[in-house]
Amino acid sequence: MSDLLFEMKNIEKIFSHVHALDHVNFDIRKGEVHSLLGENGAGKSTLIKILTGVYPKDGGEILLEGNPIEINTREDATKQGIACVFQELSLVPTLSITQNVLLGKEKNTLGVIHYGKEKKEIARLIKRYDFPLEADAIVETLSVAQKQMVEILKALSTDAKLIIMDEPTASLSKKESEMLFQIIGQLKERGVSIVYISHRLEEVFNLADRITILRDGKNAGVVEKKDIIPGEVVRMMIGKRLSEATASRELAMSEEETVLEVKGLTRLGYYEDVNFVVKKGEVLVLTGLVGAGRTEVIRSIFGADPYDKGEILFEGKSMKAGIKGTIRAGFGLIPEDRRTQGFAPLLSVTRNVAVTNYDRLAKSGFVKKASEDKLGEETVKLVDLRPANPKVQVGNLSGGNQQKAVLGKWLTRDLKVILIDEPTVGIDIGAKDEIYEFIEELAKKGVAVLLISSDIAEVLRVAHRIIVMRDGHVVKEFDDGSVTQEDILLASSGFGMTGKEGQNDA
Amino acid sequence: MHNPILHKLYQFRRVVVLLIICLVFAVMLPGIFLTWGNFRSVLYSVSLTGIMICGATFAVLLGGIDRTVSGNAAVSGACCCALILHFNSSDGGAVAAMAAGLGCGLLSGLFHGLVLSKFDIPAFLLTLATNQVLYGIVQYITGNQLINVMNCRLFTAIGSGRLLGIPIPVYILAACFVFSYILMNHTVYGRWLYSVGGNREASKLSGIPVKKVICTAYMISGFMGALSGIVLSSMNQQASSLQANGYENDVLAAIVVGGVSLRGGSGTLQGAMFGALLIGIISNGLRLLGVDAIYHDLVKGIIIIAAIAFDMYSSYKMSGLKRDGFFKRMKKRRQAAAA
Repeated sequence: MSDLLFEMKNIEKIFSHVHALDHVNFDIRKGEVHSLLGENGAGKSTLIKILTGVYPKDGGEILLEGNPIEINTREDATKQGIACVFQELSLVPTLSITQNVLLGKEKNTLGVIHYGKEKKEIARLIKRYDFPLEADAIVETLSVAQKQMVEILKALSTDAKLIIMDEPTASLSKKESEMLFQIIGQLKERGVSIVYISHRLEEVFNLADRITILRDGKNAGVVEKKDIIPGEVVRMMIGKRLSEATASRELAMSEEETVLEVKGLTRLGYYEDVNFVVKKGEVLVLTGLVGAGRTEVIRSIFGADPYDKGEILFEGKSMKAGIKGTIRAGFGLIPEDRRTQGFAPLLSVTRNVAVTNYDRLAKSGFVKKASEDKLGEETVKLVDLRPANPKVQVGNLSGGNQQKAVLGKWLTRDLKVILIDEPTVGIDIGAKDEIYEFIEELAKKGVAVLLISSDIAEVLRVAHRIIVMRDGHVVKEFDDGSVTQEDILLASSGFGMTGKEGQNDA
Repeated sequence: MHNPILHKLYQFRRVVVLLIICLVFAVMLPGIFLTWGNFRSVLYSVSLTGIMICGATFAVLLGGIDRTVSGNAAVSGACCCALILHFNSSDGGAVAAMAAGLGCGLLSGLFHGLVLSKFDIPAFLLTLATNQVLYGIVQYITGNQLINVMNCRLFTAIGSGRLLGIPIPVYILAACFVFSYILMNHTVYGRWLYSVGGNREASKLSGIPVKKVICTAYMISGFMGALSGIVLSSMNQQASSLQANGYENDVLAAIVVGGVSLRGGSGTLQGAMFGALLIGIISNGLRLLGVDAIYHDLVKGIIIIAAIAFDMYSSYKMSGLKRDGFFKRMKKRRQAAAA
């Protein structure tokens, strides 16, 4: 085909022993929006990093308009017309738009910069694409969306033929996203090709002229716009049918005995007068918007933070403060942010999961290595870790598998209560499902599960009962009957509650 | 890399480096370098920093640093010598004096541990400052005079005595190494140490008594520093107000050369000890070669840089992130063209 811009053929990449890319093909036509889809760990970022010269490839070739090219550095990629709009914006906040766009390519005579000329040039560029920007505005005064436009300007100023956008709408509002889509349309008209990577399938289906799907480092399919069938694409991504997302859920109060009871719990400035019970084998979901005080509540229950008033009862008895004691009593915690709170990245899976289990794995202070290794292997099997190697450093695993390793810390213990905080953030669909299955299994075994989640589909998928928190207060409890996504959304945003209250913070 | 031989070589890269350097010196100094006597003197000279490393590595594994190893050594040496004189150089008095010296180290370590576990300040800054304070204390104890201890047999035997032909300090080093090695690798405390160094918050949420782990680490570091101070005083049969000054740099250099990450949670005591041996062997070789002492630091510095570069390069190469070199690229291109 003559209209092909870049072609990547039989690309291979091996990291120590993991085949990250296995003969992957990917091509981009002139002036098309091409989406790259795949779960976390499918190889999308690796492929992009090879195209942009961040990683060297271990096999295969890259062609530009039919001619083989070498991309060994980022500069090579820029020279070939490839530009990247990064997830984490790479701008200098204290400099102006002009200075940022022309960073490293300043127009000068003997080192003296012609700022006036530069400004005019950038103003022209801004006008051509009709961006709502001023050439000499300081970058830190801009909104996230505007910063992204500056990134795009930066790409355009190098005459990029291909712009790679990695999760560009992740931190944009709906309106801002619409603006971005318009810009993408304009770029297309001018013959610029775009690689669009996003977890938001809806966007992808609307924008993309073509979709390449990767799975486990291999090509899983290429779909033209006219042939896109959402269910089909998702199936290609995960390789199996997605368990049906429930639109509503039947709730019921459990008849079992109460395991955990929270009475009038208050931590000034964080949450106030929180009351609830969790019963044996029950999944109680704490939902609401981010910042509602949910995380602080479970941290207090776990003994990681103090509280000012109220009582925490475990099996009818008052809990003593301190993490060590709660763990010994049979509590477990899957913290909010696994990277900063969940695991030590340089340590192996075994060492990470063993950390909570040395009460069983040691004798008078000395580690029983055989039991430790056995625990590592057991856990890997139990959580179906991939790769199934307990010696791998947890930092080298994909997001979903890292979370499974964090889960593994508790699964082999005699658990009574598990506190789980946003377990599936940044995790792909397949691994999400597995984590839901673990939660269900734990509940079935009689563990009382207290789960925090802002993802409403997730709430409806796993909840037995639901508590909604807002601004540090419990505002709604769903104990039985049918509940829909809408009910929860309304309760957590403050609409449809008791009159006017809360309307302004929606 | 899938080549098993390369992989084995990579695992033992530090030993290989050490062997190569020994080989070079052995060839340049036939009949002198590779002798039992010289081997003994290398071990003897490494023993002081070696003992300090057995402690300071704990702090580095936590993601901290302990620059007070030298200050601890100085305080403990001065305190010990002063007390021995106070007790009229009796053997019993010497034992008490040494215990007091070690106590000083433990106390200093406890202080650093408490401060560092309570407040979020960089260990580098704290220990930089407190090391100064410790040397101030030494000047106070010694009154800026040498404290000579000549007549206490028990005390001087530590530094100059031999057992089965091997100097006593080497035994002390061996004991410290075994102690620290077992603690790091076979005990729950060791697991906690690596975990806290790897991720403090995750460790806390896993029920690890993080503060105790930190305090213990700095106390061990203080103890080992104090111990090496006693050994040093015993070797010199005196304590001076600048005793061991600058050793903290050698200790840190050895630990870093040995591949212990300054970010914590990664590295081994064997590695750190390799670093100490490397530096010790190079100093020894240069001395035997008759290189003027003014060049020693220069050469040592360059070799340390080379060792770190080699270590980083080899792990980079094993990580799969390395690009083909120029010649390999050309070769591949030729092969592709031929095909």
